[in-house]
Amino acid sequence: MSINIGIGFSQDINIELAAAKAVSESITKLGKQRVDLCLVFSTIHYPPQKTIPIIKQAFKSKTNILGCSSAGIILSDSIETRGIAVLTMCSDQVKCGIGSTFNITSENVREAGIALAKSTLENFGQHGRQVSLFFIDGQIGNSSLLLKGLQEVMGNIFPIIGACSSDNFQFKNTFQIYDEKVTQHSATGLILGGQVSAGIAGRHGWRPLGKPRIVTESNGNIIKKIDNKKASLLYEEYFGKEAKNLGIEHLSKITILYPLGIFIGRNNEYLLRNPINILHDGSIICQGDVPVGSEVHVMIGNKDSCKKAAIEAAKEAKKNLLGKEAKLVIIIESMARLKLLGRMASSEIQGIRKIFGEKVNIIGMYSNGEIFPFQTDEKFKKPLLQNESIAIVAIS
Amino acid sequence: MSSNLILNIIIFTSLAGLSAFAVFQTKSLNKSEEDLKKLKKSFDRLDEQAKLIVKTDLELNKAQEELDKRLNGLDALQQTSRSMSTTLDENEIFNRLDKSLVIGLGFEKNIILIQDKNKKFISRIKLGIEDENIASIISELEKSAEVLKFLNEGDTLSSATSPQDMKLSIGKIFNVEHFIISPIMTKNGMIGIMFVGNGTISSAVTEGDKEMVSILASQIGQSLENARLFEEAFRASQILDTKVKERTKQLASILEEVKYISKAKSEFISAVSHELRTPLTSIKGYASILIAGKLGEVPEQVKQRLEKINIHSDNLVQLINNLLDISRIESGRVEMSIEKCSLPDIIENVRDLLNPQMREKDINWKAEINENIPEMLLDKHQVERIFINLIGNATKFTPQNGIIGVKADYDNDTATVEVSDTGIGISKDDISRLFDEFYRVENTINQNVKGTGLGLPLAKKIIEAHDGKIWITSEIGKGTTFHFTIPIKQ
Repeated sequence: MSINIGIGFSQDINIELAAAKAVSESITKLGKQRVDLCLVFSTIHYPPQKTIPIIKQAFKSKTNILGCSSAGIILSDSIETRGIAVLTMCSDQVKCGIGSTFNITSENVREAGIALAKSTLENFGQHGRQVSLFFIDGQIGNSSLLLKGLQEVMGNIFPIIGACSSDNFQFKNTFQIYDEKVTQHSATGLILGGQVSAGIAGRHGWRPLGKPRIVTESNGNIIKKIDNKKASLLYEEYFGKEAKNLGIEHLSKITILYPLGIFIGRNNEYLLRNPINILHDGSIICQGDVPVGSEVHVMIGNKDSCKKAAIEAAKEAKKNLLGKEAKLVIIIESMARLKLLGRMASSEIQGIRKIFGEKVNIIGMYSNGEIFPFQTDEKFKKPLLQNESIAIVAIS
Repeated sequence: MSSNLILNIIIFTSLAGLSAFAVFQTKSLNKSEEDLKKLKKSFDRLDEQAKLIVKTDLELNKAQEELDKRLNGLDALQQTSRSMSTTLDENEIFNRLDKSLVIGLGFEKNIILIQDKNKKFISRIKLGIEDENIASIISELEKSAEVLKFLNEGDTLSSATSPQDMKLSIGKIFNVEHFIISPIMTKNGMIGIMFVGNGTISSAVTEGDKEMVSILASQIGQSLENARLFEEAFRASQILDTKVKERTKQLASILEEVKYISKAKSEFISAVSHELRTPLTSIKGYASILIAGKLGEVPEQVKQRLEKINIHSDNLVQLINNLLDISRIESGRVEMSIEKCSLPDIIENVRDLLNPQMREKDINWKAEINENIPEMLLDKHQVERIFINLIGNATKFTPQNGIIGVKADYDNDTATVEVSDTGIGISKDDISRLFDEFYRVENTINQNVKGTGLGLPLAKKIIEAHDGKIWITSEIGKGTTFHFTIPIKQ
């Protein structure tokens, strides 16, 4: 076998014990002494300052450690909203390099993307690149700018999968893990190359609702006016009494289920933008750019459309493996979908598992923004920041 | 002229055409505007419907979220109940509680405080609450008389239903916006509290959460009460066990002492009996010589006295022999002379021996002897003594013309014998002591008839030496039956 995988998980209430159990299970399943890469997904109940040193201690050789906080953990046979998951990987044929960038502010997001790409590429070295995985702080306002920075270095069509870290809908406790460092306002990345294949796909399953509206004033990721009215009016009208009860400062807590869809005419598709904040002047702050003149819709999703989209994404990711058997499936899924699917969330993952086979290792996290190649008819699809989506990377 | 006319006609026609076109265009524009208006109206209607859909969807999502939460809560409740019900160890209850409680119910902050003997709260489970905050939480809670009053009365408090001041007060203590605080009750009142809470506005608690936490707190209370009762019972049983062991030890010590005394007694009786028998033999010998007139004729009165000496010496010898036998059997020193015997023959021999006494009182002998009783391995002489004692006793207590009955039968491995009389009967109190050495029932017959009080104890010892059992049934005024069994050993 060219690639060895081990996944461990624990939700022991003792934080240190949970970390020790998860990493120990992962290494045991890996069955190797050497660990090349360790991916950690943790809910905020397990402070990384306590868990990461324990995880690092478990490795006998130098190991690249990467990860982030999540609203939940996706595993092969369950969805957990509390716990810590550790993926360990070892392969003589697969090359990996990790990188990071810290202290990201609203002024340097694009530059941070460039720095991250350079840092990761430098660590990766001169090997054939196959796929990259980035974890960006969910608290960074305009993550699409960071993606732009990444793409300036790595190219517009290089397969990038990304996740904006999340917490349990508090939008304040997110964190990134890079080696032993645990940071906020940062981003970390991983490039996999060598003899490895990756099948990537993503979908959202949300549908437009109501009449189309035109963004008449915006600045990057801030929509100021829609149809020449203050942007928040759109949601205030749609949510009615609920919006009044919540107040404008908390409106974004429910808009997560009703993102804005930017109509991409050429493909008849919708690029989703999740309002992460609504300012007192009524401006809507999205996670990605919304240009003036964009035709936007309020979007709606339901359990069936979500599950259907996930299955479609899984089928396409499998197809993109070109007949090779998936050893590992990494899922980056919007936390809004977890909220929408509720107890049915695990049935969505079971559907994905059926497509890749019962034995496939699955690990995933719930994000606050997803980066994956946007679904178009073109052969080379450009990765974009999206919301309310599920992105699947199948690795063989 | 004509060209002007033609030009005019052309101009007129063009103007007319243009006018017609303008009219047509205006009409067309008007129609487009109307269509646009209609389209806009349709869009607006569509949008209104969309708003309705969003509102409905929002409500459905909320309901779904609440339902999911309830189902998760019920799962947690079921798991917790099952897990708690399988242990009666208080510490283990909390060990099992923590995971299912927190993960299942999904609250950010959880704490269970249990009161110690001094009614001071101590933290047993805490999640999402830092160690350094526990002391201040407990201190503030203990100061909140109003909150404690409600809790002591068994009320569950929730941020959704509590009065504003109480909501603020509890929220401040635990640093949360939304909470449920439920008392952990036992039959003796509140023994602790269970608190769950959330800090974020999107995680408000519901009436369903309140019910769930209340049920869980009640189950915790029940489990803790069971555990404590079990602990008490266990401790009591341990104390009892210790006491029983101590008492058993004491009794064993006493038994050893009794055995020692009994052995000493037997040895004393044995020694004394031997020492008594030798001079008695001399007394009896000299008395016989004197009675026989071998030392010269003795006067009749002297002879009568000498005969009494002889009779009393015989009684004394018999008494000493019985004592010696009991002592020997007790100490295991007696050597049983086991041989094959016929039980019916032994009974017949004894009847012959005692027949003169029975005749004296015209006693009717009623025997039901199964002649097919197989030969048994017995000490014939000793077994004869059983019958001599039992039938002799029956003769003593049976009135003139009474009946003495002897039954003997057997089943597969045991011979059963009954010796009954129609005498005065024995009271229950006396029955229980009848086999005690030297015990004699106080009645008029015993007052007039001499006895040693050793016959029945000796009979019992002999039966037991043959691995048998003896017991008595009696009815006052109607008579007494001695039953005994002896295993048939062939």
